[in-house]
Amino acid sequence: MTTRLNRSVPLARRVLFAERRRAILSVAGVASALLLVLLLDGIFAGAMNANTYYVRTGPADVVVSQSGVRTMHMSTSVLPAGALEQTRQVDGVAWVAPISFSTGIVADGTGRQLSYVIGYDTTTGRGGPHRIVSGRAPGLGEVLLDGIAANQLGVGLGDTVLVLGSPLRVSGLASGGTSIVNTTTFVSHQQYAALRSDVSAYLLVKAVSGVRAGELARRLRDAVPNVSVQTRSQFVASEARITRDMSADLLRIMTILSFGIALAVTALTLLTVTLTRLRDYAVVKALGSSSGRLVRTVSAQAAWTVAAAVAVAVAAAELLALLLSRLLPTVQVLVTSGSVTRTAIWAAVVGVLAALGPLPRLARIDPATAFREAA
Amino acid sequence: MTTFVQAPPTALQARALTKTYGVGATLVVAVGGVDLDVVPGEVVLIMGPSGSGKTTLLLMLGALLRPTSGSLVIDGIDTTTASGRTLTRLRATHFGFVFQDYNLLGALTARENVELACNLAGTTGPRARSRAAELLTRFGLAGRAGSRPDQLSGGEKQRVSLARALANDPAVVLADEPTANLDSARGHEIARLLRRLADEDQRSIVIVSHDQRLREVADRILWLEDGVFREIAGMALDPVCGMQVERTGPSLEVDGTTFWFCATGCRTEFAERHGSTVGSQPR
Repeated sequence: MTTRLNRSVPLARRVLFAERRRAILSVAGVASALLLVLLLDGIFAGAMNANTYYVRTGPADVVVSQSGVRTMHMSTSVLPAGALEQTRQVDGVAWVAPISFSTGIVADGTGRQLSYVIGYDTTTGRGGPHRIVSGRAPGLGEVLLDGIAANQLGVGLGDTVLVLGSPLRVSGLASGGTSIVNTTTFVSHQQYAALRSDVSAYLLVKAVSGVRAGELARRLRDAVPNVSVQTRSQFVASEARITRDMSADLLRIMTILSFGIALAVTALTLLTVTLTRLRDYAVVKALGSSSGRLVRTVSAQAAWTVAAAVAVAVAAAELLALLLSRLLPTVQVLVTSGSVTRTAIWAAVVGVLAALGPLPRLARIDPATAFREAA
Repeated sequence: MTTFVQAPPTALQARALTKTYGVGATLVVAVGGVDLDVVPGEVVLIMGPSGSGKTTLLLMLGALLRPTSGSLVIDGIDTTTASGRTLTRLRATHFGFVFQDYNLLGALTARENVELACNLAGTTGPRARSRAAELLTRFGLAGRAGSRPDQLSGGEKQRVSLARALANDPAVVLADEPTANLDSARGHEIARLLRRLADEDQRSIVIVSHDQRLREVADRILWLEDGVFREIAGMALDPVCGMQVERTGPSLEVDGTTFWFCATGCRTEFAERHGSTVGSQPR
């Protein structure tokens, strides 16, 4: 490794950034392509985060659903009769909170929101919102909305909205339940029964202290027939997989497009820099540089270009995420470390491929040309 | 073929050095069987008309071009049979190059240009920086170390080029038309600096040039024509500027003695001093 003590003149960096405008445009071009991937990735990560918010932030260790149903998103679950009692009797269960669930429309006179409508036990609060930011839990004839959804609908505490077609008064506002796709609305069990039915859709199960979620899930699978049992993390992973599967093709297309753009910009930059500096490289070769050293110089230029582009793209993505969260609260952009790592790996591949372009020219440089008069 | 031989030790020894291009009817002999020994501390000026093979010879002497035949021994290595890697190392460690167009890297500062040559020779870090600073100071450029080539005058650029040529402490400095793009004062300055490198450091200096000003600093002047060295006429001394000049330029006969001059300006000045009339003697 090169240390400060034995460092050489940074020829690659100097040559690359000698013409600042070109260098800035190149880095900006590559960064824009990478930013596209990061943002799209971030938007889907944000949507995934929001879609899993309810289960992820709830107190349950295990979720029981209709056999074969593994998610709430795009699912309908109806538990068999007796499942609640059978679950309660399993050793290691601290409590069971049944919830009702359906997907429907919440609307006022002017707007409408696609929503998860969840009926829960308001006396214990289990299965309800993670945090009530204003007002109180809903009673009969009432509903608790997510703050962002309420804001978009233009309603507040005490106003009336239509939930699954029935007018309910807003008793409180929660947070964290609205994504770019939908929102989450809470009513009491009694109100849900009035709206739809009193059938439980999911059971949220808490393990007693000392019993691990996985162990409890195994016991429940053995004891309760005709249901699907997942630990909370398994349920969250299932929800995330659905979102990811929906977005995978789009992400793949955008990644390939961005990869192509980044590759073209980087390759063109390196080739241009190399061709305009051929005489310089001939001089360096005449002074005693090996071809290998020149190859390393161009490789370093590729590394500098993509490293700078990744840094700019990540910074821009973070900034845009912040701006979007202010301007469009439903659009959550999560720039994850995994996404940054993936993008950096793509960028590194771009750098390696782009560096291949100028290599034949470098290999053919005749140091004797340094002695010819400059044009 | 004319042979110029100096007594050993030699910094550079060429024997029957030949470079040809093409074959058969298209065969062109760029350099044809040149012998040359250059000893430490010697300044050799190679002159000749355009197309005489001067640059080809310089490229071969600098291990930048392989001879077609003959031998060239530098530091005990015969460059005609050495590997490409050996030639590269030889250039990095044994030679200093001075170019007509200076050939400084525009993206680097004066100090970095010199330091890069140190790096190529294997010296890096503070030692390289210190060496670069020392050389720039030697050539009066301490205050210009941070300047880029486009911020330097022609004379300054060529002095940076000289500093770069010495970065690897070379035994031989090869200079291609080092004064071609400089005005008279700067040209003389560079010529004197080249002389100093030979006198003070005992380096061998090989200069390829058309510039008559360089004659004053040369120990030997070789005339290359059609790829071979030819004998040149005995030199005369310009009585005004003191330069060694060929007996083919401007001249003036005073009291039965013929004087030779580097230029008509010197001849006019000489004539005015001695009250002679300058006739229509051809230059």
